[in-house]
Amino acid sequence: MSSNNRVLPKGVTAGDFDKAMQEIRAIVGAEYVLVDEEPLAPYNKIMVPVADAQHAPSAAVMPDGVEQVRKIMKVANTYRVPVYPISTGKNIGYGSAAPVERGQIVLDLRRMNRIIEVDAELCTALVEPGVTYQQLYDYLQEHNLPLWFSCPAPSAIAGPVGNMVDRGVGYTPYGEHFMFSCGMEVVLADGEVLRTGMGAMENSNTWQVFKWGYGPTLDGIFTQSNYGIVTKMGMWLMPAPPDFRPFCIQYPNETDITKIVDALRPLRIAMVIPNAVVIAHTLWEAPCTPVKRSDYVTGQGAISDDAVLKIQADHGIGAWNVYAGLYGTKETNDANWKIIEAVAAATGGKIITEEASRGSQALQYRFDLMKGKPNLGEFGLYNWRGGGGSIWFAPVSQAKGSETLKQMKMAKEILGKYGFDYVGEFIVGWRDMHHVIDLLYDRSDDTQTKNAYACYDELLHTFAKEGYGMYRASTAFAEKVAATYGPVKRDVEKRLKQALDPNNIIAPGRCGISL
Amino acid sequence: MRANRLACLVIGAGAMLGAAGAGAGQWRDGAQVYEKVCAHCHEANVGPVLKGRQLPQVYIERVVRHGNRAMPSFRPSEIDDAALAEVAQLIGASAPLTKE
Repeated sequence: MSSNNRVLPKGVTAGDFDKAMQEIRAIVGAEYVLVDEEPLAPYNKIMVPVADAQHAPSAAVMPDGVEQVRKIMKVANTYRVPVYPISTGKNIGYGSAAPVERGQIVLDLRRMNRIIEVDAELCTALVEPGVTYQQLYDYLQEHNLPLWFSCPAPSAIAGPVGNMVDRGVGYTPYGEHFMFSCGMEVVLADGEVLRTGMGAMENSNTWQVFKWGYGPTLDGIFTQSNYGIVTKMGMWLMPAPPDFRPFCIQYPNETDITKIVDALRPLRIAMVIPNAVVIAHTLWEAPCTPVKRSDYVTGQGAISDDAVLKIQADHGIGAWNVYAGLYGTKETNDANWKIIEAVAAATGGKIITEEASRGSQALQYRFDLMKGKPNLGEFGLYNWRGGGGSIWFAPVSQAKGSETLKQMKMAKEILGKYGFDYVGEFIVGWRDMHHVIDLLYDRSDDTQTKNAYACYDELLHTFAKEGYGMYRASTAFAEKVAATYGPVKRDVEKRLKQALDPNNIIAPGRCGISL
Repeated sequence: MRANRLACLVIGAGAMLGAAGAGAGQWRDGAQVYEKVCAHCHEANVGPVLKGRQLPQVYIERVVRHGNRAMPSFRPSEIDDAALAEVAQLIGASAPLTKE
C-alpha cells in the first residue's frame, strides 16, 4: 500500500511509522505484524453505527509475551505511535476489535493465551488476555476440576481478561466480574511491569487470594481506562455446587416489572438467590427462541404492542422472563425453592423448571450461562433486525421496581421514535441493575445507521438528564458518555494519564481519556 | 502462525494434558475449530447451516476474516491460516447435517 492512501496514526509521519513497524517486526516477527488493508480487515469489522473508517487501524501487532509487549511500548514511545490493546477482541456492539480512534495500532494479545495456573484448593486461576472462556471451560473439564466461572453471553469466543477490563457481567453468583478478579499484571506505558495487590511483593503466594495489598488498591484504574496493558489477571472460581436448580419465571404484563423487582430484590440482597438475576423482555426472548420479526412486522418502524402480545401468545413467552438459580445442596435448595414458589405465586408468575424447559432454545442457553457453560445462543438477537447493526445502551438502575419501569418506558419511547424495538433486559447486581438494551438496526441501510446513532445519542442525553449513567459504552460514544460524568472526574482521569502515560500512547480516547 | 504451548500448571489436582487438549490454547485441527467456534452458531439454529452446501473454501475463508453482517470477523491470532484452511476445506467437503 502506498503511503498516500494508507491509514496512519494522528500526527505521525509515514517515515516514522515505517521505522516503528520495522522495529516492532524485529520484536515479534514479521508474520505477526499486519499493515496492509486486506489482512487488517478483521480488525475493522464493527457493528456500531459509525463509518468503519472512523475506527480503521493503521496496523496490528501480535506479541506472544509480556517481554515483547514491554519492548513494543518502548518503540511506541520513541515514535509516538498510539497502541490499542485488545484481548480476544470480541467486544461486539461495544466496538469489537477496532481501535477507539482511527490510525491506532491494534496491540492484539490473543496469542498470549496461557492458563498459567489453576489452584483447585483455593479455587483461583491466573490467565493471560488471549484465553477464551471456551478454552478455560475445556481446561477445567479436561482436568476434571469441579470449578465454575461466570461468563458473559458471547462466551465461547470472548475471554475473562477483556471482559473484566471492560467491567462486563455474567450470570452466576460470580457475575460481577471485576469484583471476582484478584490481582493483575500490567505493562505501563514506559514498559515497567506492575503487579497489583499482593503481586507487587516478590515471592508472595497470596496474589490471587487477597485483593488489596498495602496502600492504595490500584486495580480499578486499569479497568475502563488506558493507563496500562493488562497482561495477566487472577480470577476466582466457584466450586460447582452439589445441586444447581435454574429456573425461569414468566410474567404476563410489561408493568409487572415493578412487582418482580420489588419481590426479588430482598432475595438477591439476602443471597437466597445468589446469582445475577436476569429479567428479559419478550423481544429479547423472541429472537433467541427463535421468532422471525418479519412474521409480525411489515414495513418500517418499531414493532407494535399488539404484535408483541401476539408473539407472547404464539410462542409462550412472558412479557418479562426472570432467570435465576439456586446453588447449594439438595437440602438448602429444597428449602429455598419453597420461597421461590411462594414469591412466584404471590406475584402472578409462572415457574418453568429445567425439566419443563427441555427443547426451548431460549431457556437452554440461559440455563447454561447460569452455570458458566459457554455458548453463543444470544447471537440470535442479531437475526431480529438483520443487517449486522448493534450498539448496546446500558444504563445503571437502582434495583427498585418504580425505577425500572420508568427507565423501560423512557427507552421504549425514544427507540420507537426512531423506528427501533425495545430489546432489553435487566441484570440484577446486588442493589443495582444493569439495564441492557440492544439497539438493533440494519447496518447495510444508511438511514437506519444514521437513526441508530441519533437514537443512542438521544437515549444517552435523556437518561443523563434524569441522573442515569452508563455502566459501559462503545468506542463510538466514549467521549460523549465520559462527558455525562462531569468535569472533575475527567480532570482527575487526565492527570492520571499525564502521570502514567505522558506521551499519550496507550489507547488515547478510550473511555474519553486523552491528553 | 500456530503457537505451540504447554503452559498449564495445575496445583493440587489433575494431571498435565498434552497440547492436543482444547484447554491448551492451540488448535488440534480444523475439526476442532469447527466444534469450538463455528458450531456454536452454525449448528445451533443461530447462523445458517454450512455443512453439505459445497461452499467454496475461498468464500469461507473470506467471510471468516472479514465477517459478514452479524457474523463476527476472526483474526489470524484467533484462527491461524493453516487451521482456517482446514476448517474451510472440511466445511466445503462435508455432508449435510442430518438434523435440520
